[in-house]
Amino acid sequence: MGEYKDFSEEINRKIEEIQTKVITGEVTLLDVELFPIFENLKDSLNTGNLNRYSITYKNASQLLIQKFEELKILINNIDRKEGFLKFLKSNPEDSEIYQLLNDCWIKPFNIESLSLDFLEYSRDKLSVKRGYPTSIEHIEKVEVKDTFLLEVPEQKFTEKMLNFYNNIKNKLPCSFDEIFEGDQNQIRIYENFVYLLHLLQLGKINYQKETNFLYI
Amino acid sequence: MNEFTILMHLLSNKTNKIQIGASKEEILKALNIHGKNESVYFQDLITHLSSYIEPLGLQIRFNPLSSRWYMAFEMQTSDFFSANPFEGKPRLAATLFCTLIYCLKNLGIAKIQDIKEIRKKKHIIEDLKDLRKMGYLQLDDKLGKVSLTPLIGYQLDLNKLFIKLALKVKDQES
Repeated sequence: MGEYKDFSEEINRKIEEIQTKVITGEVTLLDVELFPIFENLKDSLNTGNLNRYSITYKNASQLLIQKFEELKILINNIDRKEGFLKFLKSNPEDSEIYQLLNDCWIKPFNIESLSLDFLEYSRDKLSVKRGYPTSIEHIEKVEVKDTFLLEVPEQKFTEKMLNFYNNIKNKLPCSFDEIFEGDQNQIRIYENFVYLLHLLQLGKINYQKETNFLYI
Repeated sequence: MNEFTILMHLLSNKTNKIQIGASKEEILKALNIHGKNESVYFQDLITHLSSYIEPLGLQIRFNPLSSRWYMAFEMQTSDFFSANPFEGKPRLAATLFCTLIYCLKNLGIAKIQDIKEIRKKKHIIEDLKDLRKMGYLQLDDKLGKVSLTPLIGYQLDLNKLFIKLALKVKDQES
């Protein structure tokens, strides 16, 4: 069994310290970062310390709830614009207001050297109709009464080939072209050509290349 | 060249002194995003670009005074660039702050008389004129009213300021 790290006591001590500081008014919970406590809990949690950690987690959550309460009070204060006016009416020094504004200043970031023409040209190229995000539509299911069966030819290949052979054997000997002449159906021509190749391979029909003639 | 290039341009673009960045609608139009999920896609783009520029010390912010998204240096980096436009001018900063609070109270418009009374200082009109010159205010001398331009919303983290102020008020009350 491996060694389990257990920081529950340490974390509990930290929570108690914070609570003491809050009770004595040394700090408000809004000034305290609770994130490290939860991060520590999460990182060191394992099956060995689960029981102890559940209590620690409860204590940390209690602290978080308290913090939310403080935040609620603060938000209520923010909403009290009269409170702000009261502050102004207390005649604060310019330096006090100046101090209040400290840490609140922001420097906007502007890039004025970017070529707007190029960007607009690129944007126009990018502005193609988007299909994002794709909506998924369910396809309507259609009830089919019949059962599906794979369509298979009525006759076997050999039978069809022999039929073809019987049909042409009286023509033979004849030229290769005569076998197919008169037939306009491309699929049937292709089918008959396949039969012919097989018949040639089987030796039931012969072919003379020089005269382009088929014979038995 | 991709959506982020265009987004970078839109968010860092300074149309004039008081108009920086782009509104959500402008961004959606520029990127040809529409449909019922446009907000999700928009949020997705902003989040992703934020994570890309974070290591560069940049962040994407929203100016509530102009409803525009824009790019800014992170707070710590902003300190480095001396972002405070009122360096060495606490009086002007205080006058602007008072105007801000009164505008917040009165739906965006403040009476010059109220600011004069609360500041209890001379040269308030000069301050307001200076602030107008700097682009922060619009003055209506005839009506005796003043309103904010969106500029301060780009340069000041209003949320942070109000939280600090609320804490200060709370401290004063307790």
